[in-house]
Amino acid sequence: MSIKINDLEYTYSPGTPFEHKALKGINLEIPEGKVTAIIGQTGSGKSTLVQHLNALLKPTYGSIEIEGFHITPDTKLKDAKMLRKKVGLVFQFPEYQLFEETIAKDIAFGPKNFGVSEEETEKRIREVLPLVGLDESYLERSPFELSGGQKRRVAIAGILVQDPDILVLDEPAAGLDPQSAKEMMSLFMRLNKEAGKTILLVSHDMEHVLEYCDEVIVMADGQVKSQMPVHEFFKHPEILREININPPGIVKLKEMLRNKGFQINPDTYSLDELAREVERQVNGHE
Amino acid sequence: MEAIALDRLSFSYDGETPVLKDISLSIPQGSYTAIVGHNGSGKSTLAKLIIGLLEAGSGTIQVLGTPLTDETLSEVRDHVGIVFQNPDNQFIGSTVADDIAFGLENHCVPTEQMQSIIEESAAKVGMSAYLDAEPTNLSGGQKQRVAIAGILAMAPDIIIFDESTSMLDPQGKASVNAQIRRLNEEKNITILSITHDMEEAAQAEQVIVLDKGSIAAVGKPEEVFLNDQLMNRLRLELPFALKAARAFNQAGLNLPPVLTTEDLVEELCPSK
Repeated sequence: MSIKINDLEYTYSPGTPFEHKALKGINLEIPEGKVTAIIGQTGSGKSTLVQHLNALLKPTYGSIEIEGFHITPDTKLKDAKMLRKKVGLVFQFPEYQLFEETIAKDIAFGPKNFGVSEEETEKRIREVLPLVGLDESYLERSPFELSGGQKRRVAIAGILVQDPDILVLDEPAAGLDPQSAKEMMSLFMRLNKEAGKTILLVSHDMEHVLEYCDEVIVMADGQVKSQMPVHEFFKHPEILREININPPGIVKLKEMLRNKGFQINPDTYSLDELAREVERQVNGHE
Repeated sequence: MEAIALDRLSFSYDGETPVLKDISLSIPQGSYTAIVGHNGSGKSTLAKLIIGLLEAGSGTIQVLGTPLTDETLSEVRDHVGIVFQNPDNQFIGSTVADDIAFGLENHCVPTEQMQSIIEESAAKVGMSAYLDAEPTNLSGGQKQRVAIAGILAMAPDIIIFDESTSMLDPQGKASVNAQIRRLNEEKNITILSITHDMEEAAQAEQVIVLDKGSIAAVGKPEEVFLNDQLMNRLRLELPFALKAARAFNQAGLNLPPVLTTEDLVEELCPSK
């Protein structure tokens, strides 16, 4: 079942001098089983939007249909509690939210809250650990002696242990070195391809968006500016320029080559293919 | 004179596992050097040794010709500033101005001079309009610029950036990177930037590659990044333009090494 968002509006601190309308009439359908990117400048409303997906925020106006829940301004958040099991939200820099004395306790925090039995929780933790690239030797260690990348894996394990159908990830690779970032992204791709999880990825990294995502939603000033399949989206670098985000290297290169008079197939997104197209034209085979 | 000279520097946290092994290198005054390498290669440890947050196991560190010892530590720190990775972990003051003033107060700078130094430093990083703002209300990029202003107030000769842009959004990254280049070009401040961003490293004059606590390569960016064997062995990302140039050459073209997409297109076009 896809996620449907209808006329969603959200205002922070209404009726106070700090009143701020963060979402202004969002209509979206986010497909099930796909990897969808949400991009936009800081302050465009991305984080406010995704916090509605597991009822951390509820609409000021409009509604959200997700996982059989219908969330409106009148929904009691207590009734939406089970939604948080089905939609796992991983915040930016989640490693700063670890707090338990052992890694096992930290991962078990969610299931314990939902009343899952200890044996069941333990069984699930053992299933989840290898998914995030950790082994059981970590369980009794303190999360605070781990490196930043390892801590983030623990935080993500704490979400995966609830076995959510939808994973919402806010900049999951930010601040990691390129190798760890790649491993982190492959983990989410495995969860999508092998376990069929729907993935929503808030990202500033256009190389990741191009490489890993199926669809792209662009947010600007609290509104949805566009929603397109990823390869269609990157045929319009002007949209990125309007929101002041650099296109992926290959998109920029294609555009510059085209401006110099080269004929470039708009559907080319591999460097090797692009190189062959350009070589044919330079060496005069065409 | 060298800004920083390291001679056979070694360090270990536990006295057994070496984190840095026999590091000798020199960083010329006024230069812009990038240090790259995987997590755990010893990059941040090296930075902490240079500003005396850690003490070397063996070997020597000279900063602007002065050997770093317990006695010279505070003198050396007057010349070297450091900006860390997490913009939220380096604020002390309740306003931007207080924060910039922190180092000055520690150095007993007279109050009447302080105000003008604070204003000048904020102006240099484009944060003059925010002197009364609370640091918590700033964006990540603005926070890092305030951290830089706090260092500039101390008029350092050398600034170390320890992955200072890695937690920032693209705009924040671009504004801080532009700031770093300006400090180097206009104020002639020696820059030592620890980074995972190969596009940024490609802009430096000198690149140092660390691997498991040893120097794996030192040189101009084009020399280091063109060392295929090294880059493959360490599985380091190449700047995009070099990756592209390599693909083009494999397809049968003959392009020289380039570090920017602009140069790559420039090389392709005369032949057309």
